[in-house]
Amino acid sequence: MRRRLVVAIVAGLAAPALAGQAPASGQARPAAPARPGGQPRAAAPAKLELQPGLKRAKEELTQGQIVEAAQLYRQLADQHQSVQALLGLARIQSGVGDARGALSVLERARQLAPNSEEVLGAQARVALAARSPVIATRALEALARMVPSVMENQYLLGVALMQAGDMPSGAMALEEARKLEPNRALTLVALGFAYNGQKLYAEARPHLLRALEIDGTDVEALAALAESEDGLGEPEAAELHAKRALARDPNHAIANLVMGLVRMKQQRYEEAREALERAVKTDPTSAKAQYQLSLACARLGDEAGQKEHLDLYTKAQKENAERLRDLQGAAGTGRGGM
Amino acid sequence: MRGFVASQDAKVLFRDIRAEAGITYAHHSAPEKKFISESMSGGMALLDYDNDGRLDVYFLDALTVENAHDPRAARSVLYRNLGGNRFEDVTDAAGVAHPGWGMGVCTADVDGDGWEDIYVTNLGPNALYHNNGNGTFTDIATRSGVTAGGWSAGCGFADYDRDGDLDLFVSRYVKLDLEHLPEFGKGGAGMVKGGTGRGADCQYRGVAVQCGPRGLPGQGDLLFRNDGQGRFEEAGQRAGVSDPHQYFGLGVAWFDADEDGWLDLFVANDAGPNFLYMNQRDGTFKESAFPAGVAVSEDGAEQGCMGVAVGDYENAGRFSLFVTNFAEEYNAFYRNVGPYFTDWSFRTKTAPSSLPFVGWGNGFLDYDNDGWLDIIVGNGHVYPQLDQAKLGASAPYRQRRLLYHNRGDGTFDEVAQQYGPALNEPRVSRGLTLGDLDNDGRTDVVIADLDGYPLVLHNELADVGNWLLVKLRGKPKNTSAVGAVVTLRAGALTMKRLVRSGTSYISQDDKRLHFGLGTATKADWLEVLWPDQTKTRRENVKANEVLEIRQE
Repeated sequence: MRRRLVVAIVAGLAAPALAGQAPASGQARPAAPARPGGQPRAAAPAKLELQPGLKRAKEELTQGQIVEAAQLYRQLADQHQSVQALLGLARIQSGVGDARGALSVLERARQLAPNSEEVLGAQARVALAARSPVIATRALEALARMVPSVMENQYLLGVALMQAGDMPSGAMALEEARKLEPNRALTLVALGFAYNGQKLYAEARPHLLRALEIDGTDVEALAALAESEDGLGEPEAAELHAKRALARDPNHAIANLVMGLVRMKQQRYEEAREALERAVKTDPTSAKAQYQLSLACARLGDEAGQKEHLDLYTKAQKENAERLRDLQGAAGTGRGGM
Repeated sequence: MRGFVASQDAKVLFRDIRAEAGITYAHHSAPEKKFISESMSGGMALLDYDNDGRLDVYFLDALTVENAHDPRAARSVLYRNLGGNRFEDVTDAAGVAHPGWGMGVCTADVDGDGWEDIYVTNLGPNALYHNNGNGTFTDIATRSGVTAGGWSAGCGFADYDRDGDLDLFVSRYVKLDLEHLPEFGKGGAGMVKGGTGRGADCQYRGVAVQCGPRGLPGQGDLLFRNDGQGRFEEAGQRAGVSDPHQYFGLGVAWFDADEDGWLDLFVANDAGPNFLYMNQRDGTFKESAFPAGVAVSEDGAEQGCMGVAVGDYENAGRFSLFVTNFAEEYNAFYRNVGPYFTDWSFRTKTAPSSLPFVGWGNGFLDYDNDGWLDIIVGNGHVYPQLDQAKLGASAPYRQRRLLYHNRGDGTFDEVAQQYGPALNEPRVSRGLTLGDLDNDGRTDVVIADLDGYPLVLHNELADVGNWLLVKLRGKPKNTSAVGAVVTLRAGALTMKRLVRSGTSYISQDDKRLHFGLGTATKADWLEVLWPDQTKTRRENVKANEVLEIRQE
């Protein structure tokens, strides 16, 4: 509850009424009462010097005075068009879970400093955490162009593109990251996911095997390898690796999905349904798992279940399509739609 | 021994005999394909229109936006098979040169007079060419009530209500107003409300391309019920197959999915879920593609479905579906596990090789007569501008064919690259048809391309197995025996084939049923299940002949 209140107050700092009314402590304070017209009462903020102001905001933050720090950053940003102040404010907003507010502030920072690595990096990270891959992709593409030799930028770009559903572009970015740092398990696993997402299972497998050489207990790598093997028509291997992943994380969405797929093909529909139910419990947005679960229900004569999961599949599918469409619209990389 | 292919060194399987056969027809389309209607045509048919026992060929030509108002600007061509792999252009005498903006074609003896008729789907009114039995045809679409209108694509005749005569299903694609076309690369006019026509709909990897189908309005499908008196009434809505959501319909396949003796209907939809209409035996259908597992891909993705092949590739007695799709979507192999289907595309090992290609015409064929159904696919992209774009995992605009050899264990090897230019020269293919042009027991393949000559692929594979070609002659009014199923036993194999009207991508295969017998010199028995569910049985049938069976 308190976190929600802090978010509300930090977000409410956009209203000029709070400017200049720094709270004495970190205690959250209710927002100023609104006027009948819906606008809070306005008060002229005092002019602050930039550097001392930034220093003071930092000190407030160190002392845990989040609201006061945010208020100072906001005031400095308004008065000096300060990118540093905007970054500080975004950090606070992100820290209290107000990703939307943080992204809005960072977009303003980007307008002021379009080539700032710090701003672009912050925007990308916040957007990725907020599952706003279109914004993240825009920022990371700019970063990757500016500093192509930084592995992290290419890696994050790949992740953002995958999150948006553009697996081919994601794989290309991740291959760039792999060239820069060939034995990084995170990159190899992400590449495995990117190729699996394109049904290029034979391409995915070597990366995942390499990732498992580096860390044989990596649950993500095990699950992705199981998915590759199912795609390659190797159900025994797929089951083995899915089970190894599930032994470490019984609710792992992909490992359960693979188990569901294997059982569906074996026509062991009860077991398939159980595995797929676990998959959608962990990741209800997985269109593939919802679709397969609807099929398992159909095979078991459960019409209500079939319909329920078909509806959830349709919803997830629509959201995925919209996300990809947004990305393609932003990047101009769309497909004509055959 | 598996395969009857002499060795991996064998280089000749198909040879393109188009020029020496005297086939000079070339398909026409606008070179830049600025509009979607200029990318989708290319249907064709193999039929024996003159009942001389030799397969004739009908190619459909297409108009363009520029010459759309002049139907004579496109000339479709009917070639009569003279034997010896020679063909003669008989189009003008036959009167089938100008059906309109030709898209697809299906054939059947519609009126039961013993002569094969031709139905042509168009962007515009469709044509039903009645075979007059004297080498000429008369377009009776208007008086029969089957002109349809709009943009028709796939078609197929079938006796869905088992009243003895053939009904007709027509899939329709996009609702297009030629006077208000969406602007190339941009959209605008003609786009649906909410579909802006910008971004994803008219751009491909950052390159301006034709708009659609996404962002354009679709059109519902039509079912024409034959009244037995030469007239058809449109019964799609009443029967439950009218496609009220107006998906983009293309390939059509009538087959008995659940083996209850009533024909069901599969419709391949582009950029949307497919339909599987299960026959309720009362003149209506229940759409069941999702619960049956054939609506979308294994991961629930709507695919750009084009052509449909139906075959018992496992010799298990059940018909599975093989559906061609857009690039970066695999061709979908829906294995019939009765009464459901399972996406078996990766298990059969056909999916990975299909990913770079845009697949169109397809079919199950036993090219080496080993008793196991192989698969062939014609490919080609829709955007000529593609070659300017970042291709990613996609093949370029012109693409090779895919040939899958059935290993007999439920999996396939993709082998086209072993067989030279006939299968590997890059082209932009659309309709693909299967049939034995010279009655030598080896299945030939004819492929219609956009903007160019077709491929006439004569099967010249040496050391093939024995064979049997079964020609069925049903009772009037279904003399074509559409919907009949033949089950044949030869040695250890039991094979099953189906007579279909409307095959592949908006095209028509030879209706005779080809069986590869491997080393068997006879069929131990064969049984015909006629559309009215009566049966005819033959035993100890000698191999290597064309066997005609008439329904008694």
